[in-house]
Amino acid sequence: MQTQTLSRRVDALLDRVQKPARYMGGEMNATIKDPSRVAIRYAFAFADVYEVGMSHLGSRILYDVINRREDALCERVFTPWVDMADLMRAEGVPLFSIETRSPVRGFDMLGVTLQYEMSYTNILEMLDLAGIPLHSEERTWDDPIVIAGGPCAFNPEPLYRFIDAFSLGDGEVSTLQTIDVVKACKQEGVSREECLRRLARLPGVYVPSLYRATYHDDGTLASFEPTEPGVPRTVVKNMVADLDAAAYPESIVVPFMEIVHDRINIEVLRGCTRGCRFCQAGMIYRPVRERSVERLLDLADKLVGSTGYEEITLSSLSTGDYSCLPQLAHELMERFAKERVALSLPSLRLDSRVKETLEETQRVRKTGLTFAMEAGTQRLRDVINKGITEEDLLSSVRDAFAGGWSSVKLYFMFGLPTETEEDLLGIPDLANKVVRAYFDTPRGVRARGLRVNCSASCFVPKAFTPFQWEPQDTIEVFQQKQRLLCAAMRIKGVEFNWHEPHVSFLEAVFSRGDRRTAAVIEEAWRLGCRFDGWSDQFSFERWMQAFERCGVDPAFYANRRRERGELFPWSFIDAGVTEAYLWREHERAMRGEITPDCRKGCQGCGLKRFEGACVGR
Amino acid sequence: MRMLLQFAKTDTVRHLGLLDLQRTMQRALRRSGLPVRYSSGFNPHIVMSFASALSTGVPGDAELLDVALEAQEGALTEAECLARMNAVLPPTLPAERVRLVDDRFPKLGAALAQAAYSVELAGGDAARIAGAVPDYLAQSQIMALRKSKTRETLVDIRPMIHDLTAKTAGEDARLTMRVSFVEAATLKPELLLSSLCTFAGAEMPVCRIRRTGLLGVAADGRAVPLIDL
Repeated sequence: MQTQTLSRRVDALLDRVQKPARYMGGEMNATIKDPSRVAIRYAFAFADVYEVGMSHLGSRILYDVINRREDALCERVFTPWVDMADLMRAEGVPLFSIETRSPVRGFDMLGVTLQYEMSYTNILEMLDLAGIPLHSEERTWDDPIVIAGGPCAFNPEPLYRFIDAFSLGDGEVSTLQTIDVVKACKQEGVSREECLRRLARLPGVYVPSLYRATYHDDGTLASFEPTEPGVPRTVVKNMVADLDAAAYPESIVVPFMEIVHDRINIEVLRGCTRGCRFCQAGMIYRPVRERSVERLLDLADKLVGSTGYEEITLSSLSTGDYSCLPQLAHELMERFAKERVALSLPSLRLDSRVKETLEETQRVRKTGLTFAMEAGTQRLRDVINKGITEEDLLSSVRDAFAGGWSSVKLYFMFGLPTETEEDLLGIPDLANKVVRAYFDTPRGVRARGLRVNCSASCFVPKAFTPFQWEPQDTIEVFQQKQRLLCAAMRIKGVEFNWHEPHVSFLEAVFSRGDRRTAAVIEEAWRLGCRFDGWSDQFSFERWMQAFERCGVDPAFYANRRRERGELFPWSFIDAGVTEAYLWREHERAMRGEITPDCRKGCQGCGLKRFEGACVGR
Repeated sequence: MRMLLQFAKTDTVRHLGLLDLQRTMQRALRRSGLPVRYSSGFNPHIVMSFASALSTGVPGDAELLDVALEAQEGALTEAECLARMNAVLPPTLPAERVRLVDDRFPKLGAALAQAAYSVELAGGDAARIAGAVPDYLAQSQIMALRKSKTRETLVDIRPMIHDLTAKTAGEDARLTMRVSFVEAATLKPELLLSSLCTFAGAEMPVCRIRRTGLLGVAADGRAVPLIDL
């Protein structure tokens, strides 16, 4: 009855907002269950707009995992865009789920996936719109248990006051375990505190209210301890050893509106063994686990049949490393050519068997080519352990141009440790060489209209990487480097995009922030910050005001070089890779030494300690 | 062979734009397993067209989609097509009827002559507007300002109104109308309503428009649902 009215009130707002399809629901394959027949109602939140959140694979996996349970239901929640949020506040409409437009506060659990730091204010925005107290300690059983996971949960501290429990690592199994615990607690009628205590005993779960942090005079962390016995000192991440056995959706919601990644997403493998030293995902998602070709083909069949999508993408951190890629690509083509299903291969490593797969992809539809070079010179690529050479790039683009491609994207970072002016100028140098490779391709062979899209982002040092000790360049230095790059990037056929350093600076603060930065996030939100990842909403001034009001120096987190041995806010987490390994990699980076892919020999990163990890290698 | 599919764009999804609807129908058709025809080229898509695009924000009870099929006559039944479409469409876009026609059947867009709407008027001057309908229709000429993207023209809309009735319920009222819908003379329900309000000396009320039908004109001059033409 209450939901009926809320639904109507939401509906009335839809005539007054920019993109009503974001809130509409009613999509193909959405799961709608009778709430009276389940024990746990789980709201799964993505702290951004619908079209971004719907593109996230992990959310889709967990939506499916939860809805497969007979005793639970899962409904989606996204951050209402500013126009909708303002209307909701004006009309007293609380945050609602997409499926049944039920108030989020009435759910038993609220899962939040943490994909990027700049969505943190959106989490507060959602809690506030839902009428859920922002601080964990102020919540009662009238509120859901708020659980967060995803890559940013590997440094959970900036959110420690707002989240009841964090779940670290792969969520397929642990999400179900947390549901079991909450269900049992509700049935037994135990206190919310007891429920959190029980959650803290689950593998990979961190309950911040059960730990205390103290600080040295210089501001660094002095100690980080559980406040009571039975709470683990170290939280070990969850890992699904066998991807073939892991749950994967066979049917996904097909949105009406165009979303960012509007296609079938098939995760071919998880983890990456390349060991790029800047890459947090490459460290925290270890070890590499592959799905079998049979399982992938079966999933592709079912998903094409259940969605009608016209495109399949093979996704992972490094799809080119999938051991059976040519076979898989070939079989997918065979199977779906008649149904006009295109295959696209994102984040393709240019040092893999690009050529073979390119010839395959071309048969159905031409998709863009992307090369993540990351740095302009071989010296710097050695420092970051990006095992790609200039010749790899040039031979790949030559093949691509000869194969009829004319559009190439190149990704770079700047502000990397040890970077010099020569390294920076290596970026325009590479772009020039790509342009030349195009014009060296005979006129009749190459496609017309060369487009080299070159983009450079500001390096952000991340927790659990060999660069976690490194300072980030200051905004001023970034801007100087940017000017140098812009001047050198005026090349015909090349479009150059760069990212403003202010957002990256804040990312650097929160990706390595401690508990004291939580107050800043709250203050920034109170000052009106939300959708900070959207350039039209982002206000650096408001953020700086928040730091000032809270007496927190952002440079302490972003621009400070950390000593070996410093206790980090994330040190209590065992992410698989050991600190000894990360430091060893840091030292090798400083010497410009590369570390080979661990598939070619174990590098002792620490994953061998996990049962079932690194099988057969 | 072609499949004429009559479906409803329900209230929940009234905000769907034409592109959203196109994508959804393409995907539903792909899932249906019906022998659809694809266009050639790098981005092959299913050959289909809507009889008329329906504005964002307006629901429709009997919208029409025209789909080209690669099938011989008799290979499929209408009931089978309808069942297959309903199995793959979301409940918010239910298929209501299917008619299989020959490739030579006239294009829906060309056969379209009239559209029917219902307009819910909430409160305010609703009753006064409803009461003015008989006198409004008694006029031999109704001049109204028709706006296009580039210009405004004063036209007589009386010949474009084929049917207009009003019903009141308490403070609210409902108008039911059937108006011309051809390229040279399309009367939008909003324009009719504003002209009626001016005539009644009333403020434009809060209103909800829904399209209830798309019609063609039969040989005997009667307006019939397009799918039955």
